[in-house]
Amino acid sequence: MNVLVVDDFSTMRKIIKNVLKQIGIESVIEAENGKMALELLKKEQIDLIISDWIMPEMTGIDFLKACKSEENTKKIPFIMVTAEAQKGNILEAIKSGVDNYIVKPFTPEKLQSAIEKAKERVGK
Amino acid sequence: MDVQYINPFIVAAQVVFKTMLGIDVNMGKPELKNTCVTSGDVTGIMGLAGDKKGTVAISFREQGAKYIYKTLIGDECETINQDVVDAVGEITNIISGQARKEFEKKGINLNAAIPMVIVGKQVEMNFITKLPIISLPFYFAINNGHTGEKEVIYIDFSFE
Repeated sequence: MNVLVVDDFSTMRKIIKNVLKQIGIESVIEAENGKMALELLKKEQIDLIISDWIMPEMTGIDFLKACKSEENTKKIPFIMVTAEAQKGNILEAIKSGVDNYIVKPFTPEKLQSAIEKAKERVGK
Repeated sequence: MDVQYINPFIVAAQVVFKTMLGIDVNMGKPELKNTCVTSGDVTGIMGLAGDKKGTVAISFREQGAKYIYKTLIGDECETINQDVVDAVGEITNIISGQARKEFEKKGINLNAAIPMVIVGKQVEMNFITKLPIISLPFYFAINNGHTGEKEVIYIDFSFE
């Protein structure tokens, strides 16, 4: 299973990678923003996307909309992991097709549970 | 400044430290700052806009910043390097997000930008408001309390 982790902060990418490792997922590709992630999606086979919202160049919500509007990427489970906890943000992400929405701060167990559900969805 | 603006930051600091780091923080005595300079050695600073406008700065002393990084990632850092700076930026982002969630409960909607991190003591900061800055110190034990050592983070903010 290949996971694409998108966050402008390397700390959060490391935290997510540590949680993924704990559940046996070692194949992780990193991107610092949505633009970089879209480029990676053209080259790599990705089974799950975990993305932040507020990022330079291209935000997570724009990246989500771009993924869900493309035939090749719209079926990839997309988990938003973000500090944006306001109702308007959550509703916008749901309307844009997000598969799961986790608000920072989160416990490793919460992220782990969301990833496990996403794994079941892709059958891995 | 209205005292109702203080509580969201207290809740945010307590929730974020407990959830992400397993650390209990205890708030010390709030103070008014007359100078617009960093309170610690590594400071994440973020502008807030929307129903109100303001600035929040979250400042760590060197030992506290390195301890936070170690607790989050599991790696030791001997100096304030890019990894520690990045971790302070992310903690600032998360505390700001949690505080904005608390403000929303009071009917105040705020948006945030990407935080900036300043390294250095007593470095001048640019707060977008001219009002007094409230400084909230939060104390926490490091090394699981075994050594009796305590660290402090300062949440400095101003709103209008």
